[in-house]
Amino acid sequence: MKSVIELKNTSKRFGKVIALDGVSFSVPAGVVCAVLGSNGAGKSTAIRLLLGLEDPDSGSTEVLGMNSRTHALEIRQRVGYVADQPPLYDWMTVAEIGWFASGFYPTGYQQEYTRLIERFQLQPDQKIGGLSKGMKAKVALSLAMAHRPELLILDEPTSGLDPLVRREFLESMIDISAEGRTVLLSSHQVSEVERVADMVAILLNGHLVCLERLEDLKRTTQEVQLSLPDSAATPPSIPGSVLAHVAFGHDHIWMVRDLQAETLLQTCSELSLPTPIIRKPNLEDILLAMLREYRKDGHPHREQRQPESEPV
Amino acid sequence: MICQIDPNNGIAIYEQIERQVKFAVANGSLVVGERIPSVRELATQAAVNVNTVARAYRELQQQGILNSIRGTGLAVAAEAPEICRRSRMQMIRDRLRFVLQEAKQNQISLDEITTLVTTEWQDL
Repeated sequence: MKSVIELKNTSKRFGKVIALDGVSFSVPAGVVCAVLGSNGAGKSTAIRLLLGLEDPDSGSTEVLGMNSRTHALEIRQRVGYVADQPPLYDWMTVAEIGWFASGFYPTGYQQEYTRLIERFQLQPDQKIGGLSKGMKAKVALSLAMAHRPELLILDEPTSGLDPLVRREFLESMIDISAEGRTVLLSSHQVSEVERVADMVAILLNGHLVCLERLEDLKRTTQEVQLSLPDSAATPPSIPGSVLAHVAFGHDHIWMVRDLQAETLLQTCSELSLPTPIIRKPNLEDILLAMLREYRKDGHPHREQRQPESEPV
Repeated sequence: MICQIDPNNGIAIYEQIERQVKFAVANGSLVVGERIPSVRELATQAAVNVNTVARAYRELQQQGILNSIRGTGLAVAAEAPEICRRSRMQMIRDRLRFVLQEAKQNQISLDEITTLVTTEWQDL
């Protein structure tokens, strides 16, 4: 399948801070892809590069087969984008801003916009300045969807919104993906991502640590918990690829991919260790394990440099 | 049919949908021949990925619980109540086994568990 979004070995730094460090990934058409990562991991930078709002220092990005650098305008015409703090003109009314935006898009925009604001129960004659945060977010979403874009990019769209508005956002996303269109979503709401995403991309300190189908990631990852008789005992080697390992005293927890559970149980009984508890972690557990581990074994370049770049 | 999805309960989301359809058929809230919501309807209502719902429906079709009706979607098959009543027991057994494993690992005796099951049952 042709990819809708593509980053090719893309790097971007702001002063001494490396926001993205040689990141490559592509998202096929018709997929809901969630970008996860801690604050400052490079999620928004990746989105801004894709839209041509920033230029990469090296590498390139493509959206719908067009280079973000050379075709930024065309990309923005064909993509819907909701920023985490959408810039809207406070002095316009809900209807006026739709009319204003329709000038940038093909005909039919305003009709669709009117339908969307009706669905979101917004009053057309209300001033943007007088709207709540949630209502402003709905205006931004309506503006981003009214040209029926092939790709919708949402940068933390639901942060700070109430559960009802968040749900409406999710429903809109599902509607769009049901029509075979692509959604790129950056979010900290891991349980929401777990519901709606086909794919997850995990960024940490400007590196891509995971790009995978959510279903595969969850199916092949297991958490093993083992209490050793005392804290001096060496834990057994875990059959499978270990993503993370933490020890609390003599309790050990591993996050393991492709665990050979039979082998592990056998090893434990041979070493007369207690039976390990094996469970299926949710996305949040997996994400936390990856983030912690990554921080632990060092790609510390950014952590070290950050204090210098921030004025005290 | 209302689907309650909890992404954190340790059961894959497609499986949660599958289970809820089966329970609904087994207890008669979905009847033979009844049309179930389309993939898109259910995905939007439950706020879950479209492919997840499609996968659940596919599994249910393969098990002979749902039939496709040309042009109008999926409906509960004639053999479904029988199949669902059988797999209802299996689903409960799996859940129970999980709880029992946890109990065993924590050195809780069979007697204690049996008493617990009886008292909890009476309290329902």
